[in-house]
Formats: sequence, C-alpha cells, structure tokens
Amino acid sequence: MRSKLAVLLPAVAALALPALAQAPALPKHPDALTFPPLTYEPPEPAGHRVVLKNGMVVYIAEDRALPLVQISLQMRWGGWLAPEGQEGLAGLVAAQMRRGGAGALSAEALDERLDFLAAQVSVGASDTGASANLNALADNLDESLALFVAILKEPRFQQDRLDLAREQMLQEMKKRNDDAADIEASEWGALLYGEGHVASRFTTEASIKALDRAALLAFHKRWVHPGQMVAAVSGAFDRKAMIAKLEAAFAKWPTARPDVPPVPKDISPAAPGVYRVQKDVNQGRVSIGLPGVMRGDPDVYALEVMNEILGGSGFTSRITRTVRSNEGLAYSAGSSLSFGVYYPGRFRAAFQSKSPTVAYATSLVFDEIRKLREQGVTAEELESIKANLVATFPSNFESKARAMSVFAADEFTKRSPGFWKTYRDRIRAVTAEDVKRVAQKHLVPEKMIVLVVGDQAAIDKGDDRHPVKLEALAPGGKVVTLPLRDPMTMKR
Amino acid sequence: MRVRFAALAALLAVTALPAGAAAGKPEIAVEEVTLDNGMKWLLFPRADAPTVAAGWVARVGSVNERPGITGISHFFEHMMFKGTRTLGTKDLARDLELIEEQEKVQAEMRAEREAMRERLRRGEIADLAAPESRSPRYKELEARFDALVQEQRALILKDPMDELYTKHGGEGLNASTSEDWTIYFVRVPKNKLELWAWLESDRLAEPVFREFYSERDVVFEERRLRTESTPLGKYEEALNSVFWEAHPYKWPVVGWASDIPEYTLAQAKDYFATWYAPNNLTGVLVGDFQPAAAKALIERYFGRLARGTVAPPPVVTLEPKQLGEKRYQASAETSPTVRLLFHGVPFVHRDAAALDLLTDVFSGRTGRLYKGLVEGRKLANEARASSDFKKHAGLVQVEAVVKDGQDPAAVEKALGEEIERLQKEPVAAEELQKVKNQAKAGAYRRLSSPFFIAIQLLVYEGLGDWRYINTSADAWEAVTAEDIQRVAREYLVPEKRTVAVFLRKEGTAPEDPALAALPPQAKAMVKQSLARIEAETDPAKLQEGLARMQAMAAQVPAEIKPGLEYVIAKTEERLKALEPSGEKK
Repeated sequence: MRSKLAVLLPAVAALALPALAQAPALPKHPDALTFPPLTYEPPEPAGHRVVLKNGMVVYIAEDRALPLVQISLQMRWGGWLAPEGQEGLAGLVAAQMRRGGAGALSAEALDERLDFLAAQVSVGASDTGASANLNALADNLDESLALFVAILKEPRFQQDRLDLAREQMLQEMKKRNDDAADIEASEWGALLYGEGHVASRFTTEASIKALDRAALLAFHKRWVHPGQMVAAVSGAFDRKAMIAKLEAAFAKWPTARPDVPPVPKDISPAAPGVYRVQKDVNQGRVSIGLPGVMRGDPDVYALEVMNEILGGSGFTSRITRTVRSNEGLAYSAGSSLSFGVYYPGRFRAAFQSKSPTVAYATSLVFDEIRKLREQGVTAEELESIKANLVATFPSNFESKARAMSVFAADEFTKRSPGFWKTYRDRIRAVTAEDVKRVAQKHLVPEKMIVLVVGDQAAIDKGDDRHPVKLEALAPGGKVVTLPLRDPMTMKR
Repeated sequence: MRVRFAALAALLAVTALPAGAAAGKPEIAVEEVTLDNGMKWLLFPRADAPTVAAGWVARVGSVNERPGITGISHFFEHMMFKGTRTLGTKDLARDLELIEEQEKVQAEMRAEREAMRERLRRGEIADLAAPESRSPRYKELEARFDALVQEQRALILKDPMDELYTKHGGEGLNASTSEDWTIYFVRVPKNKLELWAWLESDRLAEPVFREFYSERDVVFEERRLRTESTPLGKYEEALNSVFWEAHPYKWPVVGWASDIPEYTLAQAKDYFATWYAPNNLTGVLVGDFQPAAAKALIERYFGRLARGTVAPPPVVTLEPKQLGEKRYQASAETSPTVRLLFHGVPFVHRDAAALDLLTDVFSGRTGRLYKGLVEGRKLANEARASSDFKKHAGLVQVEAVVKDGQDPAAVEKALGEEIERLQKEPVAAEELQKVKNQAKAGAYRRLSSPFFIAIQLLVYEGLGDWRYINTSADAWEAVTAEDIQRVAREYLVPEKRTVAVFLRKEGTAPEDPALAALPPQAKAMVKQSLARIEAETDPAKLQEGLARMQAMAAQVPAEIKPGLEYVIAKTEERLKALEPSGEKK
C-alpha cells in the first residue's frame, strides 16, 4: 500500500499543481544519486579456442547481429626480419600481398572480384608483427574466404603493381618534412630507441629501390606460414560449420614452422637533453619522455594509475588541466604510457603551443612531473582514477569481435593467462605510496628527452609574460640542434 | 504543465522493425519520442556490452553565424564543459560577481581594441595580435583582468563533468562541431544512466560560462594545430571561401583568426538561448537500457527544460548560380595536387544517392580515377572523388595527386575527361552493381558498434534526417545508370566548377645532390628528360635513347656534360628497374 501511495501522490500533484509537476524533486547534486550494482566478469578464452589441424590457433564466436564475418590474423613476421639495406620490405610484402594478385587471379582480377563481393581485405606489417583482416558478407563468405587465403598463401607480386607501389612510396617519401607532426614522430622514435632500432628503421630511396620481386617472394616464402598464426573469427555463422570452412581453407597449406628470430630487446636511447628541430610553423610541437618498462614489470599497475593522474585521463589529469584548461596554452596536452611486449615501452608527455609559449608550457609539464614525484597524489585523485579503470574494464570486451581479438593477441604475445581475471583487483590494490614510488623510480626529469619541433627563433624569443628559456629546462644542461634529415636518405 | 510519460505514450512515434538487422536489410529499430518541450529523442536498445552510448545534438553550426562571430558555435561547444550553477565553483555568488566584474573590464578592453584597430587602419601598427601593438592602457586592463581570473580560479572546481564521468566510468566524453550541427556524447556503464541524465540536463538548464576568455586561447591553439601549422590547412580554408560565394559555408568552422579573440559573453548567452533550447535539440541513446525506464528518466530530467522563446532563425541565403569557372592556385609544402570542386546537393536531396554512387564509381582502387589516371595513364599517384552533403547545400570533389614529372595541366585535363565519359556513356551494369554491393555492405558495417550508431544518429539528425541510417540503402539500390549519367550532366558542369591547383613550394622538395649541383638551365632540361624516362616502360626504347645519349656524350660542350651524364645514369637505373627480377643473378 505504501508504495502505491508514493507513486500516486506525485501524479495527482502533477495534474493539480503544475508548479509541483516535477515531484519527486531531482537530486540537487549528483553525489546524492544512488546506482544499482553492476557486476561483470570478463569472458573466458578457453571456450572459444580451437586448434586447426595445421596448427593454427583460432578464437571463434558467433555473432548474428549483422550478416558479416570478421577474420583477423596475427602473424609472426614484420619489420625486424628485413635485412639491412632492405628497410620497408615487410611493409611492401604486406601491401603487395593484397595488391599484386593471388592464386589464379591477376592483380586486376583479384581487386575487381573483392570489390564486387564488397569484401574488405587488408594485410599490414609493423616493426614487430603482421596482421591480415577479412570482413566479408556472410552470403559470399566461401568465395571471400578462398580469396583471402590465396592472398596469404599464394601472392603473385605482379611486377607492374610493385613498380607503381615503389614509385608511390618514393614520392610520398618527399613529403616527410612537410608536416611538423611527421617530423616529430620520426625524430621521437629515433631519440627514444636509437637510430636503426626496429621502432625507427627508416625506409630510404635506396632501400625501396632495392626491393625487387625476388626479394618479396623470398621473404614471403620464408616467413609467412599458418603455424605462426593466431586467428580471431566472429560473425554470422554456425560455429561448427565455420571451423570446418577454416579447416578446408587452410588445410593444404603445409605447417612449416620457420625458426623466427626474436624481435631485438635492446634499445639505445639518446642522451637526456633538449633536441630542437627547425620548422617554420607558428605552433611548436613538444614531446617529453623516456623509455619505460616491459609489460610484465610488477610496477605496471601503479604506473598506469600514475599516468592517468598525471596526463592520461583528459581534463581530470594534471597536465591537461594546467597547460590547457588553466593557462590556455594548448588545445591538446597530456601524457601516455606504453608497456613493452618485445622491447621497453615509453612515457611521453606532449603538447602543441604557439611559439612564444613553448618554453613556458614545457616548464609547466616539468613542474607537474616534479610535483607528482615530491608530493604524490591525493586520495581523491587516486580513488577517482581507480574507480574509472575498474568501471571501464568491460569495454575491453565490448563486442564479440573485440573479445576474440584480445584473446588472439594475448596468445600471440604470450600474455600471462590470469591477466584479465586479476586486473581489477591489481588496480584496486594500488596505493598513493605506490604511485609516488613508481613516479620517483620511472619519471626522472634528469633522464628525460625533450624534442621541440618548431620555429626555434620565435620559441627563443618567448613572450613578455613568462620569461622561460628552453636551455634552463634542458635535462643535464644538454641542448642539441638537429638539422632536418634529407627525406630520401634520412641522413642529416 | 509538463506531460508525464503515461500521457506521453500518445505522442510516441514508433517505427516497428526487427531488432536484428540480419533479416535482410541494414535497418535498426529506432524509437522516436518527442517531449512536450519539443526535445526529440531517438532510442535504440542493443545489449552488446553493459554500457550505453548517449548524446545529443544541437541543430546549430557555423552556418548559423555571421561575419564577426565566425567560429562561435565551435567555441560555444567548449563553453558547455565549464560547469553550471551547481557544479564548478565553491562559491556561486562570488563566482557570478567575478564574472560580471570581468565583463566590465573586457568591455573596456574591447573599446581599447577598437582604438587599436583604428591605428591598424591608419597603418600605424601592422599586427593587432603582436605584443608591441598593445597600448599601455590595454596592458593595464589586461593586468586587472588577469587578477580577476586568478581570484575566480581559486574558487573554481575544475572541469566538473569530466571529473564526475571519470569517477563513474564514463568514456570518450567529447563534442564536435560542424557547419550544421554540434554534438555532445559519452559512453557510460548501464547502471549510471541517471548520472548522465543529471549532468547533461543540468548543463542545458543552468550553464555558467566560466573561463570564457582563456578558452578563446585554447580555441586559437586548436586553430593553429589544425589549420595554420599543417601543410594544407590554411590553403584549404582559403579555397573553401573561394568556392562559396555567398553561402555561410564560406567561413571556417573554427572561425577566422580575427573573430576568435572578439567573442563576448553576451553573444554566448544569446546564442545559447536561441540554439540550445530543447526544441532545437535531439537526444540519442544506444546500448544496454530498458526503454520504459529510460523514457521515464528522460522525461524526468530533460522535461524540465523550458521551450525557447525565440524561434531559431532559418538559413535563408542560397548560393547564387556560379557564372564561370573559378581557379585557385597556391604553393604549399605538399605533392602537387589538382582538385575540381562542383556544387552538389543538400543531405536530404533526392539526387544525393545518385551523386553518392557517382563518386563511388570514381573512387577506390578499382574506381575509374585510379585505374585511369594512376595505373593507366600514369599521370597521378593517387586519385579520389567524394561527395559532401551538408544540410543546406553540398559539393562534389574530384582530386588527383600529380605524379612526379607530370604536368598538373595534363592531370586536370584527364580528370575532366573522366567526368565527360560519365556524362556521355551510362555506367556498365557490372560496375554499377559493384558500387551498389559496396554501399549495401557499408550500410551493414556502419551498424557494428553501438557508439558509432549513436554518433551517426546525431550527425544525420543534425544534417536533416536521422532516418538516413535506415533509408539510404534502399535509395542507393534504386539508383540507375541513367540517374548517374543525369546527375553527372546536371552537377559536374565545367563552367560551374572551381579548379584548385596546389604546387610544391619552391625550396621544399628534396633533391638528389647530383641534380642540385647542376646549373639551373641544365637542371630544367634534365628534369624534363627524367620525367620521360620515368614514364617510359618499354626497355627497347630506353636502350635506344641510351645509345643515342652515349654517342652524344663525347661531343657535347663541357657545361652540358654533367647533365647528360646524370640522365644517362638515371636511364641505366630505370632499365635495371624494368628488368624482370626473376632473371637476376
């Protein structure tokens, strides 16, 4: 009875007295809101794992919301396997697998057929791995899948397509110094990991010209094998029937297991200091950071929380608040942190500001780093970020396709099996002391590399309100002017 | 009296569709609801993950501005994150006082800036923004203003919405502004939907535009980041204002550099009252929610917003018919590029689907432009076409990046020829079917992510009709080869186009050091020869040329010799590249 009355009263009031129509009154402050509990457990990979007869591991899930099928393959080949002088080989192999014809089909016939089927196929290689994706309509899956497998297994590397691709790459290369953001990206990699490290192996005119058809064929033959692959498969299919299709599609591909050399672990970062590159633009681009830790490091959870508070969580983080929101010195300002799978990850704070305020904004970022090291974080900040990381956890598995990809990537990179099960508890366990300790250990200002791309004279001139000089901020007092590289040779 | 949801049921417009789209059509069962205050809602429950993508669109953008306040829609989007009467300050009374005091100083600063502009008109100063242009009086006012800002900052609780969403697991909180719409969106855990309703209705009910003047600096940095310090940004901006003659699409969404520092709080308040009234807004929910509960929540929180007292004024300016071809040329740090721009149609126009498929016939690796100009005639390195359907008008762009050594004029001509072919001959059945297949697959693919569905509903609604998400596939399917031919003739008219040519800025192209060392005249000749060599694919012809040059080498004057030797070396390289690689030792 009571509950009925409670519902009725406001309704009657609403009819009779417009002024009270909103009863029950809205909470005056969001802190007064209460929320139903939400429990969530991540999906289990085991139920989705299948090993094909040729050794290929598949994570598979039905998802019939749309008449599409998605296959993503992780493959153990990439930039680190290209011989010296053939930089760009892995990327070109990947691109030409897709573009150069396959099996019985010429490049033109393959492209036309895939486009007619509206099947999306991509192959890509990074420094440390390669991937291939098929997104096909379920009603032409058999043909799309056959073409996808032909691309992986029997690429033709048609000569005219290869010639065209090399010409395009060479012309694109000429644009390397056009955009300050591109200059920043390539110099940052070279400074952090060292010239020639897999993360910053530059293609050059000579290296691209050295990539002929024979080199592509040999690379493909040597490294691309199904025994090295892990697949994520999801979409509108019957699981059993799909596994049978995959067995049939990949069956005739022998399970050779080449002895793949590991991605080199070692890095050789530049000495701490300020590195300046001249570019005639009215806004300077600044990156501040240093190499970090591997994924298995025990400090990763505290480091993740630390970075979120420092600059990783948008407006609630300190760098964004200070540099953008308080001072209006940048549109984008923040920090990011990566944990290495093959070689150490990195910490990077970055912003872009008009030339006269580049030095001042840089000093503000260093102030925030020092403050974090010396004073740590507040209980409020800590609780807020931990709550965020726990509450947003389900998004890692937001769709079947995403979940299968996570499982495939975990197996491919041999991530510890308990990672997702324990993640939220590990985050909850991080204390303010942990954050301060890892900040002191890993965010050492004196060890930082600072890269400044922009109009150096205007940056030095500064503005009349904040007389800060870049020199005064240089870790170890070191300031180096880096001449622009020749875009075709990458020599300075 | 505000209508409660029991009574509201009568107002609901429900489209009954199957929940899954696998039934054969790329459609989603969106429920449309309109509150008594005119705020429309689009609801699509879909339980992929325990989250809800939520947002709303204000049907306003830079098209609703005028010279002097260009960019204010985008700037306003930033202001909507600055708090409310409830959130964002420790002391509301003092906070509001300080805002008023700041306004008084700003009014004096504006008067002073007008005096500075007078000096600019007289040529006494060169740059209004330069520190040396500021009068002593202006600097004094600046100092007074800064002190007020500092005082207010001590009371401000920063970025309160971000703070709350972060704590409660909100993700991707952001907003975006275009010529026609301003959208605000976030994704929240499904048990936090009420927090979302609280925060969003609060900022629509009682916003306070704090940090107004420092945020103008942030927006100016955004302008520098996107427009001024990128290779093409400033040229694209100029080209856009050449293309549109009268239409308010001619100014940039971010605003002209001179206008951004001049926005006033009074303008922002007027703007809010007109364009952010509930009758000019549409909300969207996509994700894991119960429709009945969500509707009650929406009515409870958003029903309190008062309908606007001023009707949003319509955009009445129509672009005049273009009378002749226009040309825009600029030297930029980029590969030479030729772009043809034509006036198209608005988003809801009946010819939009045909124009869409027309640009699809042109685009992609098996599209006519790539096959014709890149692979076939080897004039270009990239080629593409696109249709841009805005709310009130549209444009079609056809573009190619000129291959090294080729002439931009030849590329322009070739693009024109591809257009002519489309006007003369109907597209082949197979080719049309191909682009239809891709369009239909795309219509399914765009339904893959709840968050992306929400964004599309917001954007389509801003452009004139959210139903596009369900109707476009049928519209594409109905297009015939004759339709494409007709719209090609009707819209891609040579006399009504704008031609843009971007050339590489002198001194920004990398050069082979051997080439750089040649005297200028020889260099020009050598470059011409190189272009011919690069374009030649017949080894026999190259061999022939090589033999001729080698014979000449002994006899030419000394100043020509280095150039000739360079060309000989390059011809040999080219010959090597043309050898079938399988035969190499």
